[in-house]
Amino acid sequence: MAEDLVLDTTIRDWVLIPLSVVMVLIGILRYFVSKLIRTFQNPDGKIVKEGQVVIRARNLRSSADFIPPKSFRARRTYYSNEENGILHVPKGQAPNPQAQMFSDPNMAMDMMKKNLSMIIPQTLTFAFVNFFFSGFVAAKIPFPLTQRFRSMLQNGIDLSTVDVSYVSSRSWYFLNLFGLRGLFSLILGEENAMDDTQRMMQMGGFGFDPSKSLGAEKDSLDIVQHDWVLPKFEQRAEAVLRKLAK
Amino acid sequence: MAADGISVQKLNGDFNAPFINAENMQNNMKVINYSRTLMSIVGGIIAGILGFTGLTGFIFYFVVMAVTSVGLAAKAKFSIHSYFEGWNRVLLDGFLAGLMSFVLFWTFAYDIVHIF
Repeated sequence: MAEDLVLDTTIRDWVLIPLSVVMVLIGILRYFVSKLIRTFQNPDGKIVKEGQVVIRARNLRSSADFIPPKSFRARRTYYSNEENGILHVPKGQAPNPQAQMFSDPNMAMDMMKKNLSMIIPQTLTFAFVNFFFSGFVAAKIPFPLTQRFRSMLQNGIDLSTVDVSYVSSRSWYFLNLFGLRGLFSLILGEENAMDDTQRMMQMGGFGFDPSKSLGAEKDSLDIVQHDWVLPKFEQRAEAVLRKLAK
Repeated sequence: MAADGISVQKLNGDFNAPFINAENMQNNMKVINYSRTLMSIVGGIIAGILGFTGLTGFIFYFVVMAVTSVGLAAKAKFSIHSYFEGWNRVLLDGFLAGLMSFVLFWTFAYDIVHIF
């Protein structure tokens, strides 16, 4: 068991390297295909407007200390008073994203396209790898592992006496599938790496509700402690000048 | 290291008004992730060619990551707080994500050079 297996160099030339190259190329192909079929939907004017309002309110909150108390209070009232503040969302008027999604067939179509562009290439690659490269001991991991990893790393060869660190070709496919993500983010740009995780997020959370973020922003604007910094600026300037004079 | 970080405007003084430009911050994080991924892939190939096995390889990974961190800090002229949220970001971000790429390329290079 401890003896090293002697692997034929043709396995390297015709299994290990082609398999890895195919994985990389298919990843690139998938990226461009999904880019092609992605539809650009015009954002709804109302949603954009609400997003801008939230950004303005956030700016006010982060730089609140630089304006006098009176101006701050005036602005806060403009944003968050209970009658016509622009962050205030009347109850019952918030659009229901679920209903919106059913009324808009484009959205469902888009999701289906995204799913398909993820699942189809994976199934195809797996079938391809199974057909051409099944049953080889293709690689050896340079560190020892326990017996538990046998089913993970030696998928496709049923030998219980081979050392666990030897990897079958099918498992090498899986290792590639996970490990190449970093490489893709380098050669295809950041968006590719983020796509998958973002898709998962969207499936879980089902979009976000703009009225909710308005409400949250309103709440945090309400609790801002205003503390005007201009009176303290003299001391700050003094400190800076002293430092310079030294 | 490929792209330049942009300074996030931050006034620090005796009053608490941190003023962070979120977009620049995000760009800096992207730069960190980019350099970490690149370093883990390059490090993996180097480890494989040199024929490290077992624990040595993982120690090599730690060394590579430490070198990357020092490089990033040097790029920020060691004034971490004007570019990033803190030391944690520079030292730990993208550490585990890089490990997977490292192991893959380590195995790949090791197999090609030493096994067959």
